[in-house]
Amino acid sequence: MLDGLSLEVPGGISFGLLGPNGAGKTTLIRLLVGLLRAKSGTILTLGKKPSPRTAHRVGYMPQLPSLYTELSVIQNVNFFASIYRLKDRKQRTQRVEEVIKLVDLWEDRNKSVTNLSGGMKQRASLACAIVHNPPLLFLDEPTVGLDPELRVHFWEYFQGLTRGGSTLIISSHTMDDAAHCDRLAFMRDGKIIALGTPDELRQATGKAKATLEDAFLHFVHREVKKNVQ
Amino acid sequence: MSSSTLVIAGRIINQLVRDRRTIILIAVVPLLIASLVGVSVPDKSILDYTAPAILAVMILFFGFLLTGISFLRERSQGTLERLMASPVSRLDIVGGYLLGFLLFAVVQTMVLFFYLIYVIKVNYYGDLWQILVFQVLIGIGAVCMGTFFSVLAKNEFQMVQFIPMIIIPQMFLCGLLWPVSQMPEYLQWLANVLPMTYGVEGIRALMLEGQNLLDIGKEIGVLAAYAVGLLILSAITLRRGKG
Repeated sequence: MLDGLSLEVPGGISFGLLGPNGAGKTTLIRLLVGLLRAKSGTILTLGKKPSPRTAHRVGYMPQLPSLYTELSVIQNVNFFASIYRLKDRKQRTQRVEEVIKLVDLWEDRNKSVTNLSGGMKQRASLACAIVHNPPLLFLDEPTVGLDPELRVHFWEYFQGLTRGGSTLIISSHTMDDAAHCDRLAFMRDGKIIALGTPDELRQATGKAKATLEDAFLHFVHREVKKNVQ
Repeated sequence: MSSSTLVIAGRIINQLVRDRRTIILIAVVPLLIASLVGVSVPDKSILDYTAPAILAVMILFFGFLLTGISFLRERSQGTLERLMASPVSRLDIVGGYLLGFLLFAVVQTMVLFFYLIYVIKVNYYGDLWQILVFQVLIGIGAVCMGTFFSVLAKNEFQMVQFIPMIIIPQMFLCGLLWPVSQMPEYLQWLANVLPMTYGVEGIRALMLEGQNLLDIGKEIGVLAAYAVGLLILSAITLRRGKG
């Protein structure tokens, strides 16, 4: 359950939600894409309440690959392209091919999703989320199961998106992902315990060579102390 | 009908066509059951009387099961969540399912009907096209019912439990085994609120009595009302923000 959460994400950045399993990252993302309703409070994405009317400007990559396993990679991506209103057939075909190449699945485009490895499914899932070129993208643990080379490739692409003005909200529990984000929110037990750029959060520890892991533990300890008092 | 409905229906057809084993089972299993009925009922007049009811019940059973399980899989593999986060409306999703599975329900109905007529040699008196139109209506009801109950079920186990809860009582009460008029009054009341009773009465009137669609307006009306009602209820239940 999320509690007392207040957050504003500026456009054109990659914003990381960092925390252990059960911290509330996925719940927050599901609230932001409109899959869950908050019991109280207000949620605005792109300045409006999440609804099917705003959904065409939002991309969502769930934690599980969430693909049609009987269909091929290209059929899955093409389906989501159609759902997200890429109506012109020529443009749609071009864009579908482009994203499949981008996630490095061109050679496997006609394979059924059932026959793909975990990492390949993850890549196909990303292709479905970005096929309509959304200005706002929610990625729930997008790099899970990816090899280091592909992880770098993904982050290069994500940074390219933010340079182009897109906003990315990414959940992760790895410090490697966190280091790539422009801003971070450390989450624990449904609360945001710290907010800032990776450098600001590292500096807050007071240690010269603190890592993001050190920073996370620093804020966790501070939170525990506060609760004890 | 929106383009999203057609896109979803097209995707469902694609999925099933790629799953050859399921396609074969969809076609073969009803025929096996029909054959079993054909050889196990020794009296030809009893077979002629029972066959239309069996046809109606099988359309309901397979339509319910196929749609219900498929819709549930959409949820368990996470694709429903993905669809719910997209610009498609709930009615697009439910409508797409109805349209996609209706095609398979219609094909299955045709295969079963012609098998009963030409292989098992069941006699019928009504117009062929009118019988087929009514069967399609039963198929629409079955698909809507499958969609609605799969929205209520949280997993495959719960969906399977809906068969003894929803389908089997209808099989006993619809007049398949003995006439509704000979049942105790309270069971007649129950039978008269269940859609399958109207499906069986309608198809018997068409096949055995040679009546036409205009003569079975009540049966058509009840089945259509059930289908529309369940479709709307499915869309309402499948709301965004449900989690």
